[in-house]
Amino acid sequence: MKRSYVIKRILYAVFIFFVVLTLNFFIPRIGVHDPAERYYPPQGGMSTIEYEIIKQFTREQYGFDVSTFQQYVRYLRGLLRLDLGTSLRSGSPKVTALIAQRLPWTLVLSVSTLVISLVTGLLFGTMAAWKRGRWQDTLLLNASTISVALPSFFIALMLSFYLGFRLELFPAYTNPNMVAQFDWSWDAIRMVFTNAALPIMSMSLGGIIGYSQITRNSVIAVTNEDYVVTARAKGLPQATVLYKHVLRNALLPLATSIGMNIGGLIGGAIIIEQVFNWQGMGTLFLEANSTKDYPLMMGIMLFLSAFAILANLVTELLYVILDPRVTVGDKR
Amino acid sequence: MADTVLGVRNLKVAFPCPGGVIRAVEGIDLDIHRGECAALVGESGCGKSVSAQAIMKLLNTPPAVCRVDKLWLDDLDLTHLPDRQMERIRGKHMAMIFQDAMTALNPVLTVGKQIDEIYLRHSRLSRREARQRTIEALELVEVPEARSRANSYPHQLSGGMRQRVLIALAFACVPKLIIADEPTTALDVTIQAQVLDVLKNMQLVHRVSALLITHDLSVVANMADTVYVMYAGKIVERAAMQELFLEPLHPYTHGLLASVPRISDERQPFVQIPDAVPHPMRKPAGCYFHPRCPRSNDPCRQRMPRLEGPDDGRAVRCWHPLRQPHEVRS
Amino acid sequence: MSRPNVLLQVAQRGGSLVSLVRKLWQHPQGRLGLILAGCLVLVAILAPILAPYDPYDVTQRAAKGLHPSWQHPLGTTTTTGQDIFSMLIYGSRVSLMIGIGTGVALAFLGAVMGVMAGYLGGFVDNLIMRVVDIMLVIPTLPLIIVLTSLLGRSYFVIVLVFVIFGWTGLARVIRSLVLVLKNSNYVKAAELAGASRWYIMTKHILPGTSHLIIMNTALTSAGIMVAEAGLSFLGLGDPTAISWGKMLAEAQGGGALLFGAWWWIIAPGIGIFLSVFSFMRIGIVMEEIFNPRMKASSSIYKLFKHLNNTYLDEVFRSMEEEESVVREPPDRSDAPTPEGCHG
Repeated sequence: MKRSYVIKRILYAVFIFFVVLTLNFFIPRIGVHDPAERYYPPQGGMSTIEYEIIKQFTREQYGFDVSTFQQYVRYLRGLLRLDLGTSLRSGSPKVTALIAQRLPWTLVLSVSTLVISLVTGLLFGTMAAWKRGRWQDTLLLNASTISVALPSFFIALMLSFYLGFRLELFPAYTNPNMVAQFDWSWDAIRMVFTNAALPIMSMSLGGIIGYSQITRNSVIAVTNEDYVVTARAKGLPQATVLYKHVLRNALLPLATSIGMNIGGLIGGAIIIEQVFNWQGMGTLFLEANSTKDYPLMMGIMLFLSAFAILANLVTELLYVILDPRVTVGDKR
Repeated sequence: MADTVLGVRNLKVAFPCPGGVIRAVEGIDLDIHRGECAALVGESGCGKSVSAQAIMKLLNTPPAVCRVDKLWLDDLDLTHLPDRQMERIRGKHMAMIFQDAMTALNPVLTVGKQIDEIYLRHSRLSRREARQRTIEALELVEVPEARSRANSYPHQLSGGMRQRVLIALAFACVPKLIIADEPTTALDVTIQAQVLDVLKNMQLVHRVSALLITHDLSVVANMADTVYVMYAGKIVERAAMQELFLEPLHPYTHGLLASVPRISDERQPFVQIPDAVPHPMRKPAGCYFHPRCPRSNDPCRQRMPRLEGPDDGRAVRCWHPLRQPHEVRS
Repeated sequence: MSRPNVLLQVAQRGGSLVSLVRKLWQHPQGRLGLILAGCLVLVAILAPILAPYDPYDVTQRAAKGLHPSWQHPLGTTTTTGQDIFSMLIYGSRVSLMIGIGTGVALAFLGAVMGVMAGYLGGFVDNLIMRVVDIMLVIPTLPLIIVLTSLLGRSYFVIVLVFVIFGWTGLARVIRSLVLVLKNSNYVKAAELAGASRWYIMTKHILPGTSHLIIMNTALTSAGIMVAEAGLSFLGLGDPTAISWGKMLAEAQGGGALLFGAWWWIIAPGIGIFLSVFSFMRIGIVMEEIFNPRMKASSSIYKLFKHLNNTYLDEVFRSMEEEESVVREPPDRSDAPTPEGCHG
């Protein structure tokens, strides 16, 4: 029974991935018949022959030298070899190579953010639920309405200004030599984390409050369940009731939201990376955007989508283990 | 008094809420003797379940406010007992069977684990010993293949089986008192009978006192020795089961009994009590039952009657009972 | 209470738009939201009158990088000497227009999709929900960046992209509500009476979802305002307009952090905060109005703090048997102690 469910979910994820990669192929081709004319219009003083050469070159670069269908087949073939295409940058680096270069730096930010927001959020949320209606709870409620209305990049700017420039606690901008000089030495690792402190803080704030809020509501909902009364009627101490009966059930919805957030975590770092000039995937994407490097942009997009699909799939499968009620059939 | 297992004096529960105060339980007295099964009967919303949870001290105190003059279990005075010590008594000396076994069992733990917990909590047993006891407990309530059923999750069991699990859970430590809150309401009629049998057997075998909370008079007839009829937060009549069924004194009890359709005597018309239980925030002045009562007159509209009758025998709260309690006394 | 029941309750809390606004006004938080939003709308409309300078005037080379003063309440930019206070006022136009415009369009598309998926079911439902699944995994911000760079950086494109990729959340909520409504007795009755699907959808289902849609519009508008600020901050908004996000980017680029010109950062930040906050408040208060259980559970605890014990004593005394009340005059020492139960 369970195996068929797992297979079904995997097949569905593959289907979604196929649709996404097809979209990914066609999106940059919306309204673009000839990338040369579109991106490099003829300039004055350029002879027709010169422009023809440029056109030819551009078409090849963008992969427009064959028919759309052939391009699509070529794209699929590339994907089978885990090839996301070639960037237009000088030296024609592979998109996958560029991603591999930048991904770890983004992961430093997003993984730390995830861990910090989850642990703190769980703690705060449970506390707020337990102390419902008291100041801890009110504080969380007010903090959440305020923090949602404050964009993370504004928080980042303020942190950078106050903790970075005024108090000089942490670097306000990422040290430009950080990536180049990184050699796994203790000092280098410490440098990475002092530089990452402000970006992580700005990204975590929303996450902490978001997870606290979810945990709080979920814990409160579970506290009202009959089986919690049963557990108390059995004479179990409060702490045991909370730990074994309330939290265990309250964390199930949290798992779903983590799964959905992980997918967006890397993409969500774009603005913060920009504020601190952090050399991760986000800045890579913005660089690609400013140079109209569509192969690179779409490569990153596809990578992020695949990551999100995988995260969702893992969450769904994990759910089967965590919640014995889910067996067969579509949850939706 | 010495034989009283559960004694409740003047239990009151209120729920303050933005529009006023919900007066859920308005000063009830209960005496349950050893081995006796007392039934608390009334329509839904009359405060039965709240009373039960208040006796177990399971109500969350916000939102509820409880007051009680005296509450004791056998030789233990629970009136002012702090939460910590109450935890040691719950499950061990007094236990509860809930109405809906589907929601009363934790969906993500196996039923075995949920029964193990109670042994691990209240007696010094290892996990293995606890499981052994769990299996025995499940066998006692006639769960077939108890050993493998213990590893099932609640949703994998049928409604009747789940209810048996709850019963096993309640009787696990052989408490002095079992409070059964509508133990069969959620079940099909046929399963109901089986589960009631199990419950009754367990109660008799272990000589456990029971407080049965129900709105179903057939369950009362099956199980109860003494009956307390509750209306809008107050006890309106108290009687031994058979006396109550033979000769109800309160017009409300009379109405309740008459509204049970019977095949045997066709001559009696099918009666129903008009209207519904008053909203617990807006109860009428005087006797709470007067707007629905065929016998009401002026005093009923102005003053609440007292629960009158001999201390341990029949009692009724009515200005115009069908007969005076001392007259019936044989 | 299960989710469908909550949804149904939301649907059944009837009342017209006017009564909804009245209820919002009666709620202190809702009033705060309405007043803030109203002020912002006024500021946006009256911007040319309120602004002391022309914020687009980039020729004031002499007045570059001024600190706040009576002439320039928030100083001027270090690059082109624009008056920051005037920019702040004009920035409200973009934020509100994009936020509200997108919110309304989103609500429309989301509602149509949700109702179709929920009510028609079958193939349509399947198709719409698959599209929702796909949209969920495509990273939104990168996609918006790609599309604006392909289609041009104008607010029309930005709104269009927000709408096309933002309707999924509302559609899912509406769909689950519609599934509940569809099985409700009055819809079944209408079906049995021979009403057409179109009639039922427009006369029975859609009105039932209207509250949820209004509530979501307020909340998504708030979300879109944040997103727009982010895009503008990245320099991907309309290059010709002044927006708060762009002001922040200019502040960062113009060295506000370095020169300690904190007002240049704070001002647009507060602008964004107030606009988002006011719409969120309205949305959250609406949620409370439609779903009173949430309100009740939070206010009961507040109530408990201010609960007058003598009042409760009075309530409990009134529960006593009558005779004892008559016999014993109200006496504090005789009243059962509040600690009687549950400590």
